[in-house]
Amino acid sequence: MAKVVIKDSPYNLKRARILEVKTQTEKEKLFKLVFEDKTWLDFEPGQFIMVSLMGIGEIPVSVCSSPLNRHYFEICVRAVGKVTNSLHKLKAGDVIGVRGPYGNGFPIKLIEGHDLLIIAGGLGIAPLRSLILYAIDNRRDFGEIHILFGCKTPGELLFSDEIDEWSKRLDIHFACTVDRADPDWKGNVGLITSLIPGVDIDPIRTYAAVVGPPVMYKFVIKELLTKGLPVDQILLSFERHMKCGMGKCGRCQIQNLYCCKDGPVFTFKEIMDMAEAL
Amino acid sequence: MSKPKVAFFDFACCEGCQLQVANLGEMVLDLIDIVDIVEFREVMSEKWDGEFDVSFIEGSITDEHAVERVKKIREKSKILVALGSCATIGGVNGMKNSFNLEEAGRYVYGEAYKFFPTIHTKAVHQVVRVDYFINGCPIYQPEFLTVLKCILKGLPYYVPEYPVCVECKLNENVCMYDRGLTCMGPVTKAGCNSWCINNGNICYGCRGLTINPNSQGFKDVLKKFGIPEDFLMKKIEMYNKCKELDES
Amino acid sequence: MKIEQYRLIEKSRIKEFLNKLISIYNVVAPVEKGFNNFAFEQIRTADEVRLNYIPTILPPKKYFLPKKETILEFELGDELKVEPVTEYENLVLFGVHTCDIAGIKCLNMVLSDRPKDTAYLIRKKHITIIGIECNNYCDDYASCSFVGAHIPTTGYDLMFTELSEHFIVHVHSSKGMEIVEKTEMFKGADQNTIEELKILRNNKLKVFNNEIPTERRYIPDLFDRSFNATVWQELESKCLSCGNCTAVCPTCYCFDIKEDVELSLKRGERYRVWFSCQLDPFAKVAGGIDFRRERSARQRHRFYRKFRYHIDRYGMIFCTGCGRCSRTCMAGINLKEVLTSLIRESEAKIWRKWL
Repeated sequence: MAKVVIKDSPYNLKRARILEVKTQTEKEKLFKLVFEDKTWLDFEPGQFIMVSLMGIGEIPVSVCSSPLNRHYFEICVRAVGKVTNSLHKLKAGDVIGVRGPYGNGFPIKLIEGHDLLIIAGGLGIAPLRSLILYAIDNRRDFGEIHILFGCKTPGELLFSDEIDEWSKRLDIHFACTVDRADPDWKGNVGLITSLIPGVDIDPIRTYAAVVGPPVMYKFVIKELLTKGLPVDQILLSFERHMKCGMGKCGRCQIQNLYCCKDGPVFTFKEIMDMAEAL
Repeated sequence: MSKPKVAFFDFACCEGCQLQVANLGEMVLDLIDIVDIVEFREVMSEKWDGEFDVSFIEGSITDEHAVERVKKIREKSKILVALGSCATIGGVNGMKNSFNLEEAGRYVYGEAYKFFPTIHTKAVHQVVRVDYFINGCPIYQPEFLTVLKCILKGLPYYVPEYPVCVECKLNENVCMYDRGLTCMGPVTKAGCNSWCINNGNICYGCRGLTINPNSQGFKDVLKKFGIPEDFLMKKIEMYNKCKELDES
Repeated sequence: MKIEQYRLIEKSRIKEFLNKLISIYNVVAPVEKGFNNFAFEQIRTADEVRLNYIPTILPPKKYFLPKKETILEFELGDELKVEPVTEYENLVLFGVHTCDIAGIKCLNMVLSDRPKDTAYLIRKKHITIIGIECNNYCDDYASCSFVGAHIPTTGYDLMFTELSEHFIVHVHSSKGMEIVEKTEMFKGADQNTIEELKILRNNKLKVFNNEIPTERRYIPDLFDRSFNATVWQELESKCLSCGNCTAVCPTCYCFDIKEDVELSLKRGERYRVWFSCQLDPFAKVAGGIDFRRERSARQRHRFYRKFRYHIDRYGMIFCTGCGRCSRTCMAGINLKEVLTSLIRESEAKIWRKWL
């Protein structure tokens, strides 16, 4: 057996240094990263990267910063497994491995010129934040922007300072809801679907971008269809188990689609006939 | 940083799993490079009064003394590991649970049985909290090392949820059913790299049943091969009798 | 058939040829494992080799996509030090059936798809394939004629076909030619043997009959109609989820990526290892949701991977008709029977629509 180093291996990693770690909630932290070789991550909103902790493992994480930011990129990580829990123990200055970006993000070129309805459930705000920041930076490319954000409790509200800012902007319609309120909560209480009937949109000129926990999609899509949104203007991003990110390992397959390669962003039209998708 | 203090304790068992550790050969040297073994009756006479970073428990819990003792070890241990089938699933000691306790006592000790009070056999996690499980009768050395590394790195270890067949097929063994033998591989948790089958033996199911076995399907398979169901149940009970305590 | 591409070797000299081959190359060939099981293994003498064998326990994919394969080596520490690696070996695979060659062709499609799997392509470059043509079925499990994998087409360096007195050898690459030249045991084919080969191939059309009661071209349609077929439900109670069917499949390539560190906790490796859509953790995400929980859905997924999904993506059926999945299944899930039941169920539905 001969062993060779293959520099062009698709599994090779780039060194990314953690610039800053911000605790978002009890379970989520925001990591600000830069590549050590001074290159920047060239990605579209909705794309994901593979993050490696050597000796522990590798996981897919969507990038949540603006793609126009050339100084750093950010990921928001919930501590649920081996890798994410270990990641939460890291501090500014630590180095992690990154490969990517992978997949198809939100089709910006198609959305441009349309109104944008963002629907985020819990951690689903992470990939959508990238899209929101892009839209804010290119405000004139989009019509009306609506953001609906829901999570279980007020304590699980991510990016709360930015949300404050978004909700104050006159050029963004922002609404937020929690499933269970606490005494200090002054906002809406109820599932995210309860916010949809109230949004004032022109369905024909609106793209909806929906990301949230798997259970959320069916109900949100139903409301959007009731609103009259065309099936190819409903954009969904799916979460699946991924190992390679390159359409090889087979883990993320949804019938004939690979979530990693053909997605993770799909139009509802692409997947509406697929029993395994929703 | 001082090395973590590691201890080995035995309860009702044959001490074969500890022997597997002692028999690691050259790896033992690497092992004592990274951990400080403070108590291990099988290989050393020293005892330790203080706290343990990691305690390995071999054996199942079969009387009240054992219950008290394992509880004390738990209190003094940061991490407690069930080592081997007796500890993880009750193992062969569990076969006692098929009998009336008095009857079992009399069978072993005759009329003196009253001086040897006994209880239903329990796996360690049925008495105290267990942090890591290393299955097998005996344990499989590479898995022991994998788990140890996980412990030292503060990572969880997941016992494979799939059956031994998965590893067996990768080892390209001739299926025991092709040889006309009844093998427990299809319903037994993997992680042993199909050690027994690689060496020409059937799988006895020592690592416990898979988390989601298709029992009906397996019964149909046995029927197809002409294997009576109660023959199989006996095979399952050889190691898995204590499972009933988890279910009740 | 271009006569200049063919060579001849006397059947009586095949052992001599193999021994010569072994003296020059690392040779892998089918050997007997007992109880009608065979395996590809590296051989030391021609006596170990079985020319008449039913498909091996594992297909030769194990040399192209090893069961366990290191993809990265790393050092643990504050700074990230990683090195992507691969291992390869110059190998000659002797006695590969056409079904298994078809399987390697499927793997080639997937792993050279972008982004290319460099490790696979390096190994592939170092493997020479010598095929052996089946003049008869290996057993009843095979369905190679249905998928068109029973006649040699491409994908090999040399192809041996047994005639009455000779093996006629098709030289299909320069690597194949190198073997012919180095072993110095072949003579050119003559018109008679070419004729004999033609007759044999014609005869094969009678020996090999389509094993499935439909034609290959109707398969996409059949599967488009069959996602909710009751056939899948029947597999729910049958399948043991042991993953044998996928491990032995020449076109299954799904894998898991894991890591291992040395006991010193200083160095480690990341490796990929074969994995199966039939197993519990395959489609489970960190939160615990399993996107393919039922055994029936997993079996359906396997069949769709073979007969539908990859037709869209790579333009080929990913079943080679080798019959391994059926041969190895303890529960007796038989590919030919499942396909036949799907066809019957689908026909019944169509009839009901008309009536």
